[in-house]
Amino acid sequence: MISVQHVTKRYGPKVAVQDLSLDVPAGELFAFLGPNGAGKTTTIKMLCGLLFPTTGTVAVGGFNLATHGDQARALISYVPDQPFLYEKLTGREFLQFTADLYGLAPEKGRDKIAEVIDLFHLEEFADDLTERYSHGMRQRTVFAAALIHEPKLLIADEPTVGLDPKSIRELKTLLRELTDGGMTVFLSTHTLDIAEELADRIGIIDRGRLLGCGTLADLQKLAAMDGSLEDLFLKITEEPGDSPATAVAGLA
Amino acid sequence: MLSVAHQPAVFRHLRVRLARNALRVALESGRLRFVTMILTSAIVAAFTFAIGWYLFHQLAANRIPFKGAIVASLFDLLFFTLGGMLVFSTGIILYASLFTAPEARFLLSSPARADHIFATKFQGAVAFSSWAFVVLGVPIFLSYGITAGVPWYFYALLPAYLLGYVLLPGSISALAGMLLVRYMPRNRRQFITLLILAMLVLGGIWLVRIGYAARNTLTSNGRELDELIGQFDLIRSGLAPSHWMTRGVMAAARGDLVEALIPLALVWSNGLVVYLVAAWTAKRLYRTAFDRHAGGGRGKKIFRTSVLDRVMNGLVFYLDRPTRLLVVKDFRTFRRDPTQWALLILFGILMLIGATNFRQYYKSDLAVMDKYALSLMNLCGTAVFLCAGLSRFIYPLISLEGRKFWILGLMPVSRDQILRGKFAFAATGSLLIAETLILASDLLIGLPPAGVALHAVAVAVIALGLSAINVGLGAYLPNFKETDPSKIVVGFGGTVNMVIGLSFLVCIVGLMVVPFHVAQLAEGLRNKLDAPISPWVFAGIPFGLLLGTLAVVLPLRAGARSLNRIEF
Repeated sequence: MISVQHVTKRYGPKVAVQDLSLDVPAGELFAFLGPNGAGKTTTIKMLCGLLFPTTGTVAVGGFNLATHGDQARALISYVPDQPFLYEKLTGREFLQFTADLYGLAPEKGRDKIAEVIDLFHLEEFADDLTERYSHGMRQRTVFAAALIHEPKLLIADEPTVGLDPKSIRELKTLLRELTDGGMTVFLSTHTLDIAEELADRIGIIDRGRLLGCGTLADLQKLAAMDGSLEDLFLKITEEPGDSPATAVAGLA
Repeated sequence: MLSVAHQPAVFRHLRVRLARNALRVALESGRLRFVTMILTSAIVAAFTFAIGWYLFHQLAANRIPFKGAIVASLFDLLFFTLGGMLVFSTGIILYASLFTAPEARFLLSSPARADHIFATKFQGAVAFSSWAFVVLGVPIFLSYGITAGVPWYFYALLPAYLLGYVLLPGSISALAGMLLVRYMPRNRRQFITLLILAMLVLGGIWLVRIGYAARNTLTSNGRELDELIGQFDLIRSGLAPSHWMTRGVMAAARGDLVEALIPLALVWSNGLVVYLVAAWTAKRLYRTAFDRHAGGGRGKKIFRTSVLDRVMNGLVFYLDRPTRLLVVKDFRTFRRDPTQWALLILFGILMLIGATNFRQYYKSDLAVMDKYALSLMNLCGTAVFLCAGLSRFIYPLISLEGRKFWILGLMPVSRDQILRGKFAFAATGSLLIAETLILASDLLIGLPPAGVALHAVAVAVIALGLSAINVGLGAYLPNFKETDPSKIVVGFGGTVNMVIGLSFLVCIVGLMVVPFHVAQLAEGLRNKLDAPISPWVFAGIPFGLLLGTLAVVLPLRAGARSLNRIEF
């Protein structure tokens, strides 16, 4: 579903992503991990067609995003870390706009809106203007809109921020169900236990380079240690001469 | 799935829904703000109409020679200036909505076609930026139509002319902006700043030359008319869209319908062609331009302390050290935002250019008494500018501290000190700016010392009073949920603050300044300007000072009480 081949992205003199190659097959839940500024969001933006690689190619569903972006984007839904909603639309009107934008037939659009409102428990506030929504309500509405056109690929950047524990639990269950149903999910997160619990494969990126990619067992082999994902993550991303103690001291 | 052909209808539907919901919210919860906006626009339009009517009436009543040519030149200038303003304002709004707004990221990650996104943003930007064109342009043409006794189709064609004319500058700026972002991403900020500065300098020189030529024309009974008209050669060219507008409007006023329709067709056809080129360019370049903008690679800017910070620290020497630190923090935030001080510079330059030109009129004995009217206008302009500036930049300060108030709360400063610091910051800045502007313009106009001193005192009272009102009400009616200052300003508290501020400055100007000007204008009309100034014209000063004191004490006290009660 996702094919990233030798992608480098520069912001002027700064290299955000360096020679990244990655393939994610259909129906996989892929977790993308990395410290702040590692290149996760830049990679996600290239997958959505918001940014273009300086070199290399990004393809989704067989469509190169540089040459067939419109076809590729029709397969994708993107849930950013800071959800966008039109403040002067109600949640229901926003869902309707999304359904119209993706060209859903009116009848199907109505059915899907009713379905996602039920799925994300939006009924109570679906007819309020979104300017009155809390962060959690916004996040749920954006997720609902993302699923309305039944995308082949769901890309989510920090999807659990602002959600209460019950909503996080429901989201985790939903993401697993979606991948079981054939949807590909590309998840960027700092919450390592979600990645550990849900992901089929995990990619770890730091300073623009993909340092490791595979199942938890693959990563354990790579790091030459047993342990939790947190231990592996810290080991793989640690700088030479770095230790957890010195890292914490560096923050002081 | 349907094809993308349905997208324009989807966006149209979105705009209608957004406008309908915004109007409903405005009528339900922000009626005061809505009415204030309508009233303010109506007052500005009425004022423009009155000035236009007076000038056109004077042209007709004084039988000034070649008045048709003068009116045509004025229309050329008006259309050219408004067109230039539209280029900049549409460009700025489009740049923000296409490249920096979260909505742009949302739409670009959807299958919406780039030219469809561009089209919907373009329509919004043009509608938003052209309200000034309507509020200022329509009253001028109506006043001309009424004084010149034009046929009915002059009025019928006006909307078609104005609507067509906003398309062309908007499309030009959209096209230029798109190409600029796409092909000059690294140095675009420096390039745009240099371009704007160069255009301001050239425009300023041109306006001064027009001023000189107009003075020569009006004081020599038309002998120097060629000099005035010569200043408009560039914008009177057959290729200038502003001149098409003038030709068409003047032909409609003369009753020559055919001659009126040809320029109208020129305006519309050229506007539509340039719009199509802009939309086609957006289809091909918008996504890559967005990519270039996001990854422009500007060098890492290092911010350091400046000598200006030390000057500000020195100006508030009378405060204790922690409060001085807060003042310098607010000042540093202000000076690092060019959009804030650029407006001040622009307003100052315009006011001084105006005062310089009026001084030339005065020296030419065009009307001796006009200096009183003009200096009063300058004072009112400075006061309104202060009111608008403080409302925009000072009123939201406390609200903007909302989400990080705990930092201030943990510091060894009381909330009273925070409020005192904000007041000192606002009062120092507004006193410096307003006194500089009013003294410079009064001296350029040649106002007598009594008038200059009176203006200096009145402006000081207005600056101090408005600073306290904005700081006090900012603390009394804070909006801690909003992070966008412009939304805080147009909220309920911001509207109340604006209305109270405007009422305060009207009272101060009415009490302290207007009696002096009315008396001097009356003396001027009786040719008795050498007569001693009656002390009664200064009778309102104590009342003004008392009102000013109340405006400082009461809002700050109310704000401090409210701030001390708030829990974070």
